Amino acid sequence: MLFDQGIDIPEALSGDALNIALEPEKARFNVRVKSKDVAAFKKASGFKFPVKIGATAKTGTQLISKFGPDEWVISDDAKSREKIAKKLSKLAGQFVMSATDISHRNIAFNVSGRLANEAVNIGCPLDLSLKSFPVGKATRTIFENAPIQLYRSGEDTFQIECWRSFAPYMVDFWTAFSRDIA
Amino acid sequence: MLLIHCPHCNEERPELEFAYAGEAHIVRPNEAEQAEMSDADWSKFMFIRDNIRGDHAERWWHAHGCNMFFNAIRNTVTDKFTMTYKVCQKRPTEHQIKVAKND
Repeated sequence: MLFDQGIDIPEALSGDALNIALEPEKARFNVRVKSKDVAAFKKASGFKFPVKIGATAKTGTQLISKFGPDEWVISDDAKSREKIAKKLSKLAGQFVMSATDISHRNIAFNVSGRLANEAVNIGCPLDLSLKSFPVGKATRTIFENAPIQLYRSGEDTFQIECWRSFAPYMVDFWTAFSRDIA
Repeated sequence: MLLIHCPHCNEERPELEFAYAGEAHIVRPNEAEQAEMSDADWSKFMFIRDNIRGDHAERWWHAHGCNMFFNAIRNTVTDKFTMTYKVCQKRPTEHQIKVAKND
C-alpha cells in the first residue's frame, strides 16, 4: 500500500523551464556482493548488474545502479518490493552478500526542464555536460550538505534521491533558485 | 575547488566528496608483534607521523561517492595531487612521482 511521503513541493517549482516533482514511493534495495561472486550471482538472480561504477541497467520499471566496486542499488516500483525481498533472501542462502531494504529511507525527486542542469548544479559541483555525465549515468554525490544519488534519465531530466529527512532542505534550495530565476 | 581523481570511479570528482584519512602505508603490527611491543613503540605506531613538507603519501576516502579508501601523493606545500592509486599498490618511487608530475 502506498503511503504519504509527507513532502510538499511549492507550486513555483512546477514550471516549463524547471519542473520538480516527487516520485511515487519505490522499492529500493542496497545489495553488496563480493567481486568474485558477481558472475555467479547474476546468473542465479537474473538481475542485470552493470559492470562499471556509475553505470545503470534499466529493465521495465527496474533500475539497477552501481555505486561502488561491490555495491549496487536496485530500485523498482513499490509493488515489487516483496517479490525482490523474497528473491534476495533466497539468494542470501547461497552467497556471502548483504541486502538491505532502504525503500522508505529515500525520497526521489524528478527534476526536469531546460534549467534542470542548473537546478542540480546550485548544490552539486559535478560536471553535468553530456560528455562526462551521459544519459543513464548514476552516482552518489553531495548536494550542499545532503548526500544524494543522482541519476540522469534524459538530457534534461534528473532523478535525485536523498534521505527523507533531507528532502525539505533540498526543496528550500530549489525554492530559492526558482525565486532567483523568476 | 580541487578535483581529485578517484582510482575506483576512474574520474575526477570535486573535493567535497572526499575525506582525508591520515598518512598512508602505516602497517598495523600483528597480534604477536603487539604482544612483544613496548608502550613507547605502540604509541609511536599510534600517534607519531612524519608530517612531511613536500610529496606526501596519504589516505583519502571517497565518502560521498564509491565509499572506498585509496592512497594519494599530494604535495603539502602546493596542495597539488600528483597521483592517486589503490590501497593494495606500493608507494610509488620518487622516479614514478617525477614522471607523473611531468604528465
